[in-house]
Amino acid sequence: MKFRIRSLFLKIFLWFWATAIITGISLIITFFLGPENVPARWHASLTDTARSSGMIALAELERSGVPAASAYLEMLERDTQLRSCLFDLSQQPIAGKDCDTFADMVSHVAATRVSDFGVKYGIVRVALVLPGGANEYIFATELPAGPRAAFGVNRAAIALRFGVALFVSGFVCYLLTLYLTTPILRLREAATQLAAGNLRSRAAEKLESRRDDLGALVRDFNVMAERIEDLISRQRQLIYDISHELRSPLARLNVALDLGRQKKGDDPAFDRMELDIQRLNEMIGRLLTIARLDTAAIPVEMTTVNLTELVSQIVHDAGFESQQRSVVVALTTHEQYFVRGNAELLHSAIENVVRNAIRYTLAGTTVEAAMQHREVEGMSFVSLTIRDHGSGLPESDLTKIFEPFYRVTNARDRQSGGVGLGLAIADRVIRIHKGMIRAENVAPEGLQISIFIPELSEEKLHTGTTRDFDLQAQN
Amino acid sequence: MDKVLIVDDDVELCELLVERLSTEGFTIDTVHRGPAGLERALSQEYALVVLDLMLPGMGGLDVLRRIRAQSSVPVLILTARGEDVDRILGLEIGADDYLPKPFNPRELIARIRAILRRTLRVPSETGPLIVGDIRIDPASREARLQGAPLILTSVEFTLLQVLLQHAGHVVTREQLTETVLGRKLGPFDRVIDVHVSNVRKKLGSNHGSERIKAVRGSGYLFVARSEAK
Repeated sequence: MKFRIRSLFLKIFLWFWATAIITGISLIITFFLGPENVPARWHASLTDTARSSGMIALAELERSGVPAASAYLEMLERDTQLRSCLFDLSQQPIAGKDCDTFADMVSHVAATRVSDFGVKYGIVRVALVLPGGANEYIFATELPAGPRAAFGVNRAAIALRFGVALFVSGFVCYLLTLYLTTPILRLREAATQLAAGNLRSRAAEKLESRRDDLGALVRDFNVMAERIEDLISRQRQLIYDISHELRSPLARLNVALDLGRQKKGDDPAFDRMELDIQRLNEMIGRLLTIARLDTAAIPVEMTTVNLTELVSQIVHDAGFESQQRSVVVALTTHEQYFVRGNAELLHSAIENVVRNAIRYTLAGTTVEAAMQHREVEGMSFVSLTIRDHGSGLPESDLTKIFEPFYRVTNARDRQSGGVGLGLAIADRVIRIHKGMIRAENVAPEGLQISIFIPELSEEKLHTGTTRDFDLQAQN
Repeated sequence: MDKVLIVDDDVELCELLVERLSTEGFTIDTVHRGPAGLERALSQEYALVVLDLMLPGMGGLDVLRRIRAQSSVPVLILTARGEDVDRILGLEIGADDYLPKPFNPRELIARIRAILRRTLRVPSETGPLIVGDIRIDPASREARLQGAPLILTSVEFTLLQVLLQHAGHVVTREQLTETVLGRKLGPFDRVIDVHVSNVRKKLGSNHGSERIKAVRGSGYLFVARSEAK
């Protein structure tokens, strides 16, 4: 692995290290800011302890002189690592080392003649007056007080310190996590949008300027998105251009055919040709519709559409077709449902789905269409379900049938007439209406296509009515 | 013989159309470029212009706009199937009707006949028609709004005439399409709605209320002034 100064590895490493160091420092600070005094209920025992060592030192002094007392105090320091000093009442050290550290306490005791207590670096310090044979002396000593002295015994104080430690480490870790995960979450958001079909989706430019691995990832992602957008739009443009170009010869063929008919009289061969020209024309029309719907930039004219009326009309028209296969199309609906949309596109979308159902349902069965009001995530939808009694689809094909030219491998063959564009159109039309379409197999047999389109609320409906035919109002 | 101008860049298609339409009693001239098409369309020689909107160079919409700036000659536009925006824009600019390409030549002939029937109709015996501050004279095909001349295309004139004749009564979209455009109303056919919208814009509002009201699900109504109050 190439080691880079800005690498993510180094970043994570430094951040964690910093966290550890900051935690350590805060612990030490806590220690230094330890309690300045000793709880009063410890005074008696601390005084007793100090007094007993003080008395021994004093006895040594009075019996054998200063060197003996010093020897005793030195021995004490060697054994316990605690310093002690003996002073006379004029605060002059008599025995012991580094006696200056006790100077404050000693002067205080000399003035008040009351024992003094203090805590420094977690060690208790006691100074008190000792009555000797002739004179009085002051003895000052350090005493171990145990770790509890360092943190104090106040529960509130413990909680506070613990809280501060938690807060500091938590805050540092929060910043670290935020720093690391923000770009990843943003990237994920962009990727989700890209997958949902928004080809213009990119990760934020701000992230691109990051000079670490995540910045590089964001840049790579955006390059990839750019490339995908480019490829797909080029593919769409290709479909569009091909369809567009095919129309010129088709237009000529139409006129030539008519001329031929005029000159040679009616002939079944001409009818045959006309039928195929019409099929070609329809196919090209559908391809262009798909290409156009895929290009979001082209606006679609929207009006208030009575969906119930539209579906009833489609079901009615389909009646003639379905009779040939002795299939019945039945519509169940209770209300007039209104949506905002393009009637022509919605008509072709729903007609494609209904025709598809008629084509694949078994002879003698019923294609059931039902409309109802549905609430999905707080939004009002009109749901339209169209269910056939055919053989259904393999689960893996359920989402793919909405792709252009997709053909299910088994029974649904070319003989049945479709070229696999109908459902692709339906899918795109429903999507530009901010709706959803999905296919599912239903028990015991058959395929159900469910369409959801946002329903127009009552008030929106009424403001829209007077201008229903006015194209100007829809821009 | 009625002279028809076809402006289309597809030379071969034009040749075929000339051959086909000449048997129907039209004299056809064809032009393949926008600027030349504009020049010929404004020459007042033609009873009708068939204009392809997908022209190279000066686009069909531009040609149409410039024709409309100077002339009210009937224009039938050829549009790409499914290009609703072009179609609606074309109608808004003042085309009489449209036909999606590729078309059946018999359909084209029918549309041309319908338009010519309307524009070449022998002026009716009815005298000037006056409703409120609008006065139209079917004999001279002149319209005036509050005394000032109102510039209408021939299809708009006919539309206004029909609405005024039935002032105060609803005229259905089917009726309007048949009498004004001379053909049946197709599914999702909004040509008549665009024409109504154009006329409405040219008339402006009458003391804040629309002169032509849309009646949901049935058609349009010209509001007589006394009713508006």
